[in-house]
Amino acid sequence: MSQVKTELYPRAVRGGGKESGAYANARRVLIAEIISGGTGLILAIFIMGHLVLESSILLGKDTYDSVAGLLEKTLPIAQVLVFIITIAFFFHFVYASRKIPGKLSSRRKMMELGLSIKKSKGRWSQPKSDIEHKRHLETSLWIWQVRTGMTVLALGAFHLFLVMWNIFTTMGFAGEAGLAAKISTSRVESGLWILYLVLGIAVTAHFAIGLYRLAVKWVPDIWLKRKTAYIICNMLFWLFLILNIAAVMGFTGKLSLL
Amino acid sequence: MGRTLTFRIFRFNPYDEDSVSRIQEYQLEEVPRLNIFNALNLIRDDQDPTLMFDFVCRAGICGSCAMMINGRPTLACRTLTSDFSSVIELFPLPFFKLLGDLSVDTGVWFREAAERLESWIHTDEEFSVNETEKRMDNELANKIYESDRCIECGCCIAGCATANVYPDFLGAAGLNRIGRFMIDPRDERSNETWFELVSTYEGIFGCIGMMACEDVCPKSLPLLDTFAKVRRLMLGTGLSGKK
Ligand code: HEM
Ligand code: SF4
Ligand code: SF4
Ligand code: FES
Repeated sequence: MSQVKTELYPRAVRGGGKESGAYANARRVLIAEIISGGTGLILAIFIMGHLVLESSILLGKDTYDSVAGLLEKTLPIAQVLVFIITIAFFFHFVYASRKIPGKLSSRRKMMELGLSIKKSKGRWSQPKSDIEHKRHLETSLWIWQVRTGMTVLALGAFHLFLVMWNIFTTMGFAGEAGLAAKISTSRVESGLWILYLVLGIAVTAHFAIGLYRLAVKWVPDIWLKRKTAYIICNMLFWLFLILNIAAVMGFTGKLSLL
Repeated sequence: MGRTLTFRIFRFNPYDEDSVSRIQEYQLEEVPRLNIFNALNLIRDDQDPTLMFDFVCRAGICGSCAMMINGRPTLACRTLTSDFSSVIELFPLPFFKLLGDLSVDTGVWFREAAERLESWIHTDEEFSVNETEKRMDNELANKIYESDRCIECGCCIAGCATANVYPDFLGAAGLNRIGRFMIDPRDERSNETWFELVSTYEGIFGCIGMMACEDVCPKSLPLLDTFAKVRRLMLGTGLSGKK
């Protein structure tokens, strides 16, 4: 009599166990997320290293050549890296872009909503109410991540192709193979500087936003607050943006630290 | 001398065939500490009895009065007109079914979400009225309470670009609800069950981390942190659960 049945609802319909189709599907989704995030992280770390090494041009062509020689001849990692990065690049593109809505109208909806919330900040002019006012930028940032991602896809693929071509054949710029200031400079000077500038800016924005997003998505609040993550990624963005512009100027001979 | 406020309000009645969607303007004298909810009532009482909007508690508890106020989803009863310049634009929440003007049906969506998530405690333990309640660690109780504070207003869903594009997405309120049952020791569902339920595109991995939900939630729920926890648990479960 005193026993009251609590089961007002049926037992879980799900929970088919590890052999079930639902479980397999859940695993697929998780793995896709790991691949897109993981390759994003690898690419971001690579790009930071890349931009730093590349700016050794600012210390003169000889420094650049010795850095290049070190990476290519002494420890032949340039050849290996270009392959790994190309593969990561491809996987990242395939897995990350699944989240981009296919329909133009959907993308437009996302953009409008992002702008609406972002702009609302200015329209709530005197925040006296007890509702805490928070800046909101992230929806628009994501849209920029998609746009810069697409830019990187187009320009980056071209760049990767050129580099591979130059590493393995002599039929390219400056009639030489491998990494050398001469080749890089001739690439940049042949009018491609605009490509490198745009690619650099896009990739910097993309990886800075991407790292922020990874931090927000996975890292516990007690380790890294959202605000701190935002500040760090913002600083990374500006640092690498300046570095990138300086390096392009360095290649065209407009800027040197020596 | 108070300001004269101009309200630009979205009007449309989907149940009236002759109704066309339009923006209608109303003027109102501002009084001290006037909030949007009171302003709407004044307009309805004195100017236009056909204006439709929802409210129940007028105290930020029931979650009925959520709407887009100058482009931001939030609660009308907790928003003072003094936060704005003299023009205030009101739209119904996107995503949810429009009932008319500013009134939307959040209930059906939340009920469906609750059924999909089976958001009740799953246990085989028989409940006995005669026994004293089991004790729960205070810290844990507080944690559960933090997620339980959700008033189902729908602001986080309306503000989420993902939810607006993929109608099956469980949204922040749904994911928050999962997080709540995950940490509840009385719920006997296993990590594998959670995994099937939320390691999906309708679940946690549909979320792309734009954080509009966290920014607009009028109850300031710790959504960001809850989702990160859910993600990590899913990661652990999925990786350890090799076939
Ligand atoms: C092939 C061109 C690329 C495209 C189309 C692309 C596209 C995207 C998209 C749409 C996202 C968002 C995924 C999500 O929110 O779940 C993303 C995330 C990310 N991308 Fe890219 N990307 C490209 C190249 C790169 C490169 C070269 C880097 C490295 C510098 C990079 C680093 C990242 C990082 C760190 C993330 C965050 C991962 C996450 O949030 O899960 N991406 N990318
Ligand atoms: S999580 Fe916040 S915004 Fe979302 S329904 Fe609950 S109270 Fe409203
Ligand atoms: S973090 Fe963004 S995508 Fe995820 S539920 Fe919140 S608003 Fe939607
Ligand atoms: S009327 Fe209940 S939350 Fe506003």
